[in-house]
Amino acid sequence: MPRGWLMMEQSPGGERAPHVARVESIGRKLPETRLTTDELMASTRHRTHIDLERLTGIHERRVSKGEEDSLSLAAGAASDCLRRSRHSAADIEVLVSCSITKYRDGLTQWFEPTTSLAVAERIGASNAITFDISNACAGMLTGVFVVGDRIRRGEISCGMVVSGEYISQLGRNAAKHVRNVLSAELASLTLGDAGAAVLLERAPEGAAGISVAGFTTVSEHSRLCLAYPARHDQGARMFTKSRAIQRFAIADTPILLQEALDAAGLSLTDIDKVIPHQTSARAIRKGMKDICGILGGEPKNPAVVTVDHYGNTASTSHFVALVEELEAGNLEPGARVALVALASGIEIGVVLFTVDDELVSLYGNAA
Amino acid sequence: MATRLEAPAVASSRWVLRPSARKLADKASRMAVDRAGIEVSDIDLLVNTGLYHDRNLGEPAMAALIQQDVGIRPEDPQAGGHGAFSFDIANGSCGVLSALQVADGFLSSGAIDHALVVAGDADPGHRMAPHFPYSADAAAVVCSRDDGRAGRVGVAGFRWHSAPEDGDLLLARVGFERRRNLLRIEEDPEFGSRAARWAAKTAGSLLADHDVKAADLDLVVANPISDEFLETLSEQLGVGEEQMVRVEGAQTVHTAALLVALAAADGQGRLSEVRRVLLVSAGAGIVVGTALLTR
Repeated sequence: MPRGWLMMEQSPGGERAPHVARVESIGRKLPETRLTTDELMASTRHRTHIDLERLTGIHERRVSKGEEDSLSLAAGAASDCLRRSRHSAADIEVLVSCSITKYRDGLTQWFEPTTSLAVAERIGASNAITFDISNACAGMLTGVFVVGDRIRRGEISCGMVVSGEYISQLGRNAAKHVRNVLSAELASLTLGDAGAAVLLERAPEGAAGISVAGFTTVSEHSRLCLAYPARHDQGARMFTKSRAIQRFAIADTPILLQEALDAAGLSLTDIDKVIPHQTSARAIRKGMKDICGILGGEPKNPAVVTVDHYGNTASTSHFVALVEELEAGNLEPGARVALVALASGIEIGVVLFTVDDELVSLYGNAA
Repeated sequence: MATRLEAPAVASSRWVLRPSARKLADKASRMAVDRAGIEVSDIDLLVNTGLYHDRNLGEPAMAALIQQDVGIRPEDPQAGGHGAFSFDIANGSCGVLSALQVADGFLSSGAIDHALVVAGDADPGHRMAPHFPYSADAAAVVCSRDDGRAGRVGVAGFRWHSAPEDGDLLLARVGFERRRNLLRIEEDPEFGSRAARWAAKTAGSLLADHDVKAADLDLVVANPISDEFLETLSEQLGVGEEQMVRVEGAQTVHTAALLVALAAADGQGRLSEVRRVLLVSAGAGIVVGTALLTR
């Protein structure tokens, strides 16, 4: 197979990878508490004069007030995913947790043992091989790539990718330090908490499933967003050069998206829904407009935006949005979906898959 | 077509006051690429499995920083060009085996030709980790698709086991105490012997999968967690001392330990004429990973 820029897998992949992976079920877990952007900005230590809602289009986000942490959000999403699924926890052969935050028992960050092992234990996935992936906001899609590879090759037939992001505490820390719109911690104010889980399985013969998954790391820009445990505050702090990331992302994404579409034999106009990483409504709309202009076409629908009411939920954002679309009946069987990852690193990835009857029916929207 | 492990490389820091896990990982990566006889631009996938690094960076993946430092196709994508992908895997001392399995998968499917697996830890500095127990070591290995060239063993299979009932024997957490976020690593004295029992059981299952007897193994390369771990493993697995790889002073190496042991075996020339090699590691969880390499 000729190599492009992306590290890519196409399905079916010939003798070496004869199977296709499909999205069998998706679950999510959202904290009950809503924190509006007005409330968050009213809590800043300094008079910032920032109209964050106008800048980002984010009206509110869900936040844990301590009742949820990374593990409980991940395990809650995994349970929600299994509740809809044909599979039981015992069927899961590989379980990968992909969150940036690994908080348990409040704001204690667990390095070892892994979050994936704790999720497996909580949901009863006692047969699963477990490990964690860390790839910033591209974590879950990286997990889909890795687990999908095993399914394609026939090594396993069922795997789960999960993430729980208790990440709103970065916003609380940022509120103490942000002074103006140029602050490196401004992006921390866009974050919201969520858990998400996706169950992948071997698709029946002839099913479309995940046709292409491709990723790359443009590491020349790897230091544009850095997050560390805070020195004197609980939790973490994140420092982002948002405008530079957005500029490079818009410059780099079109060629990579086109490469993925070419591999699938599609054009952008064949795509029903593009679900990009949810950073800000304004950035998504501007980015899609620029990308469509460069590629010379538009998908059948505007890019999916959920950041306005959930905030940026980091690695979970694509699947939080996908559940939203399925529950709202916005995806019909046969719909082609492009999940586009954009994350610190800079990580850029594209997963193309076709929604089928079975997935739609799980959300009460049978064809 | 098996995945071939090229010669691993180790980078250590014994004398520097403030060692950087990232810089050690950079150095080990460059050495491993050199030993594999390829260019850094030949690497398609980089997986970092080190856990404790500079300031306990949470984002981006440390692998992205290493990719940039080493110069593995860091540039913006260009038409007709070829990029690289990198991310981190965390699975304690078994992370290297998880990464080898992921690399083996992508090599088997034909998605990549070369993967670089790197691991390394060091005190994160900034007084964030009082009594940090692990030495500053990193190690890396290139995995390639076996093109039939003789000389090195390749991956035949993996076996895993987790024993969450022993999950509290090794804990590593960053918590807020005395107005600071501090990394605390707590290991129960029982960890080594408990881990060895699970490791021997899992390795036995792997050997049975491949119809291989313990006596037929040329070499057992195990994570040198402690003398007790290696002795219990060797006894329960039923292999002789001559089949085991021993590395002096490696007990304090953490995520890179398995590769350090593999590099030691390679350095002693013990990988050159072998037909069956067993890799064994165990980490917090308890999670045990095993791999059989054959030629």
